[in-house]
Amino acid sequence: MDPEELLNNERIEKLLSPHPLSFMRLQALCIFLIVWGVIVGWLANFSEWKDAYFGQYIVIILAWALVLLVVGVIASLTTIRWSIFFLYLGVVLAGVGLMFWQGWLEASNVFIPFYSVAMSIVGFLFVEWYRRSHKYIISNQRIIFRGGVITKEERTLRYDKITDINAKQGILGQIFGFGTIIPISQSGFGLGSDSSFAAGGVGVGTKKAKFLGIFGGGKEVQTPRARSYYELHGVHPYKDIKQLVENLVQGSVITPYQQEQVAFQKEQVDLQKEMRDLMKKKLKINNEEDSE
Amino acid sequence: MSASPLEIVLIAPLAPIAGVVLFWFIQLLFIESQKFLLTKIKPKHEPLCRFTNFLGILFQTICHALGFTITRSGISSFYVSVNYGKVAPKKKKQGIFEWMVNGFLFVGPFFIPSSLLLICLYFLITDSFNTSIPIDLTVSHYSFAGQLIIFGSNLYTFSEGFFGFLSSIDFLHPGHLGFFILLIFLGLGIRPSYMGEKKIEKVDLIYDLKNIKNNLLHRPIYIIILFLFSYLLFYLSVLFEQTWYVLIFSILGWLSIIAIASMIVTHLFLLLIKNSDEINDQWKLLPYIVIIASYVLARTIFYYFPVEHLKSVSILIMFVSTFATLFLLLKLKSNKFKTKPIIKPLKKVISGETDGPRRVIKQ
Repeated sequence: MDPEELLNNERIEKLLSPHPLSFMRLQALCIFLIVWGVIVGWLANFSEWKDAYFGQYIVIILAWALVLLVVGVIASLTTIRWSIFFLYLGVVLAGVGLMFWQGWLEASNVFIPFYSVAMSIVGFLFVEWYRRSHKYIISNQRIIFRGGVITKEERTLRYDKITDINAKQGILGQIFGFGTIIPISQSGFGLGSDSSFAAGGVGVGTKKAKFLGIFGGGKEVQTPRARSYYELHGVHPYKDIKQLVENLVQGSVITPYQQEQVAFQKEQVDLQKEMRDLMKKKLKINNEEDSE
Repeated sequence: MSASPLEIVLIAPLAPIAGVVLFWFIQLLFIESQKFLLTKIKPKHEPLCRFTNFLGILFQTICHALGFTITRSGISSFYVSVNYGKVAPKKKKQGIFEWMVNGFLFVGPFFIPSSLLLICLYFLITDSFNTSIPIDLTVSHYSFAGQLIIFGSNLYTFSEGFFGFLSSIDFLHPGHLGFFILLIFLGLGIRPSYMGEKKIEKVDLIYDLKNIKNNLLHRPIYIIILFLFSYLLFYLSVLFEQTWYVLIFSILGWLSIIAIASMIVTHLFLLLIKNSDEINDQWKLLPYIVIIASYVLARTIFYYFPVEHLKSVSILIMFVSTFATLFLLLKLKSNKFKTKPIIKPLKKVISGETDGPRRVIKQ
């Protein structure tokens, strides 16, 4: 961060970026791709079933593509992110397209493992690029969140605007000492919502006359959630950072005692102002009397 | 040779129990040794130690939850972290149920991880689960010696297959590689006690044994019931001329053997970490690279020039090359194996002293 960007009396306490393993959800997609590609390579080239089941290239391609897509659907449903499915779909289509275009269909038993490994490496590089685009600056006055691979985004949050702090640490975070801290602002920034919906339908009637009724219901629960650019995502060392942020937030909050002191001081100032006005009046009267 | 009725009624059922207890004690010693190694590498490998803690606590918590499920107490909350695990029952049951739950908590972690490995092993080796009675058995099957021989024979057959499988494991086979990774992971988790972040209390072999002893002596009547149940099973086996009794204890013995084997592999892994830590700079990564590179190279060579037992030979090459690399690096890139006469003048050179009035050490 440039010194010109700092405010008056601002001092940087910490410069942070996410831990390399904090994006394990994304890295796991690449790990699965690499594992499945290697397994398919082994099944098609070295296993005892290579001639019985994997003798034809179409079987190899189908097995590879189907498992990837099924896993993509399951992962998308569980995380409610269809981008995972489309990512795997893209990998499958690109792989199959490349094999068709180059006429490597017969060599799919060799191509698929190498292609999977290559795509995984590309995936790992993208995740690392994305991770490195995150920068968190904790100063004594505010937290600055910066990120963006192509479009740069920035969020500044003053400590007196923070109402709540949510902190979470997964198992990997507990092992490697990183975690995520979400500062929730008065405007509700840092809060997301989980919603579930259930619906049912009933069809009544014979072939000619049918009556269909659909009824459903949903509920929403607010939960601390923000994009990785707007939270302290996977910061290390987690406990120290959490302590620091909590201390800084606490430092900017006026305690009841301090509030009493401020009110008392205000009262004193008002009294002194009244006294000054009275003194001025008296002086004026005295001056007028002297002049007469 | 026939056995006396007294031997069959009273002494013979103790034979497999004694065998299992013996193996279990060996397992305990390995656990203690593993914990010692882990505490040695802890300062430089905090995450690894936290991971092993997590595995240990996870298994312990699962066993505790299993105890509540079997005793139909229900589970109201289940919590596992790196330092702490907790299971709370829906309804708290007293008496034998509480005793059973504690039994699961204290003894379960010794056997549950290895039973997972046993299930995997069942799909990888099929001919080692032979539990037939040895043909040349000259003593009565239901005598103390007979029971001990059958128990030993079952364990021997299994060990032969299991160690044979381990010595010829194919690291290029996804199933074998997965099993080996699981073996290391579970080997790190086979311990019921926790290696704490701070040394608040000593949690060691004695602590574990004390817990188990307290649980046993808390209600001695349940131990008597357990023994009576075992004896009853033995009598039923005798009545129906079956080997059910010895078979159950043989399975417990197999589990102990798997646990010991996994801890031996884990020991090798931890020793590699401990020794490579003493090597300076990036050279410490070389032994890990050699492990993979030497095996892949050996398998590639043997693919074109096949030899007998190529998988075992490849593993041997991997072991020897890793050990040689480690030894050389320790010799060249660390202070290990530097004998006193070499270190002494070096120290003097560093401090600028001379070695006596006649000879000046060359810098």
